[in-house]
Amino acid sequence: MTSTDAPGRRVDAAPALTSRAGLLRAPVDPATGRAVAQLAVGTVWLASAGVVVWVLVVVSSALVPALGLGLLALGVTLSAARWFAALERARLAAQTGVVVPGPRPAAAGLPRSWASLRARLRDGRAWAAAGYAFVAMPVSAAFLAAVVGLVAGAIAFVVVMARGGIGALGGEAGLAWPVALVGGALGAALLLWLGAAVAQAGTTLVLWLAQACLGPSAADLARERARDAEHAATAARERAVVLSETRSQAVAAADAERRRIERDLHDGAQQRLVALGVELGVARRLAERDPAASAAALEHAHDEVKATLAELRDLVRGIHPAVLSDRGLDAALSALAARSPVPVRVESSPDVSRAGSAAQAAAYFVVAEALTNVAKHAAADTVRVRADVTDDGARLRVVVEDDGRGGAEPSPGSGLAGLRGRVAALDGAFALDSPPGAGTRLTVEVPCAS
Amino acid sequence: MRIVITEDSVLLLDGLTRLLAAEGHTVTGHRTADELVAALSRPDVGLPDLLVTDVRMPPSHTDEGLRAALHLRSLHPELPVLVLSQYVEQRYAAELFARGARGLGYVLKDRVADVDAFLDAVDRVAAGGTVIDPEVVSQVIARSRRSDLDQLTRREREVLALMAEGRSNTAIADRLVVGMPAVEKHVTSILTKLGLPPDADDNRRVLAVLRWLDENGARP
Repeated sequence: MTSTDAPGRRVDAAPALTSRAGLLRAPVDPATGRAVAQLAVGTVWLASAGVVVWVLVVVSSALVPALGLGLLALGVTLSAARWFAALERARLAAQTGVVVPGPRPAAAGLPRSWASLRARLRDGRAWAAAGYAFVAMPVSAAFLAAVVGLVAGAIAFVVVMARGGIGALGGEAGLAWPVALVGGALGAALLLWLGAAVAQAGTTLVLWLAQACLGPSAADLARERARDAEHAATAARERAVVLSETRSQAVAAADAERRRIERDLHDGAQQRLVALGVELGVARRLAERDPAASAAALEHAHDEVKATLAELRDLVRGIHPAVLSDRGLDAALSALAARSPVPVRVESSPDVSRAGSAAQAAAYFVVAEALTNVAKHAAADTVRVRADVTDDGARLRVVVEDDGRGGAEPSPGSGLAGLRGRVAALDGAFALDSPPGAGTRLTVEVPCAS
Repeated sequence: MRIVITEDSVLLLDGLTRLLAAEGHTVTGHRTADELVAALSRPDVGLPDLLVTDVRMPPSHTDEGLRAALHLRSLHPELPVLVLSQYVEQRYAAELFARGARGLGYVLKDRVADVDAFLDAVDRVAAGGTVIDPEVVSQVIARSRRSDLDQLTRREREVLALMAEGRSNTAIADRLVVGMPAVEKHVTSILTKLGLPPDADDNRRVLAVLRWLDENGARP
């Protein structure tokens, strides 16, 4: 559509002019065959239809002084020029594979009012098409003639050389046969190669003319570019809104996480340690007065220490599991499965370890939360956890499926909602499918690079 | 003596109950502030000799314990209360001590692990004394304007901190390993330098010192 696509098309039509490999291959390149055919068909077609357009233009222009009859004829002629342009674009597309986009459509049919006639006469694209009809025919013909001349020259050169060589073999005065052989081959190759390059150049020139005269006007192109730029700007603005939303979600998720850790530490480990201190204090004070009670307090304290350690271990795992950083997602998922009260089958493809650490951590916590939810609410018999990388290698995907009662939804403030925020912050996708009575399926995808 | 404890952590409630019981006290435990208020409102049960309460309590886990303590103090101004707090919050201290400091204590919950200090605080508050956590005092002192405290010598500042914690002259002398006359000299010097009225009552002295620190602590 836009001019930025144009260089790509020219490469197709004329590889000899754009790449060294194309230049070397020119005589045997299929593009050369297409170019020669295009020039031949184009010359004939332009010499007929193109000339008709041009004659119509000239005749109706000449009729203009005659009571404005020519104006009407000119209007119709310009419509015909647009039809001609459409046919020419179709021909070029069929023969070269290069699609020249059409201009903005103009009014069709006979002009019924002065204003409509005026618009017809001021149709710049139709005039450009008429101009093309005039210019493209001689251009095509000249290039075709050059190509034919060069090919004919190559044949003639071979023939002359051969005759010289054969003559020398026969004892007449002439060229030594090796010189004739090598010279003939080299000369013919040079001429053929030149012919191929000229054919491709001619087609390129015709395509360039078509792009300039048969395509949209410069103003339309500019408008289209402006519209594209505006679309891009709108998309960028929307993206910015999404990013700022996911960013605040990420901040909120991190905040909630910190609050949870603070609460866990305060209400859990810290309370236990205080109780432990009291217990030890009791043991010490009673050591002499009541050794039995003192021993009981010590035993209490010992249990307390073990419980505190277990709690700290759980808490630390909730912050970041060591197995994930040491052994990767696969091992961490197996560890999760081993702790789940509901039987879990884990299928993990080996390439998940290539995903970034944030992606793996997100996947881990998604599965951890999902398995917790399954154990708490789903009343499921089995759970299946799948982790793999999407076919394009760009995204890490985890799917957690259970055969429980379904009906799960990420209500605000729930663990699932927090996970959704975490996934969104990584530019990931979060899909929860949980019809009542038919199990729950949670699918999360996050970019591997995160 | 008869002690009522309000503490939502079963473990700690259990530990404290056994600690105080081992010291020969009669202990009743409650797990929520509402339960406590309801229990102390019953006419057939007399007031305990001491109430020990946590600040953070269900249902909202913010300051229900403190609210209940303030409420009970307003009904029974003579009820000794020792408030345990997860963390030092000067605003809590200010609310608590706004109506007087007799038989009132505010200490960090972690101090409970220091059993001897805790039992000491229990005895002091039950006897009508004032106990303020050293951390509260150091926060208040840290916020005070430098120039005012600069008039004090280092020793005087140590004495000031202990006064603010609610220690008597005897306790201060013990703590600093100096004689009573020396402590009395420091105290008089401090009160004069800060422009506070010389007062024999430890509790009123605490309040005066805290108020002075607080007023002078307000930064521009």
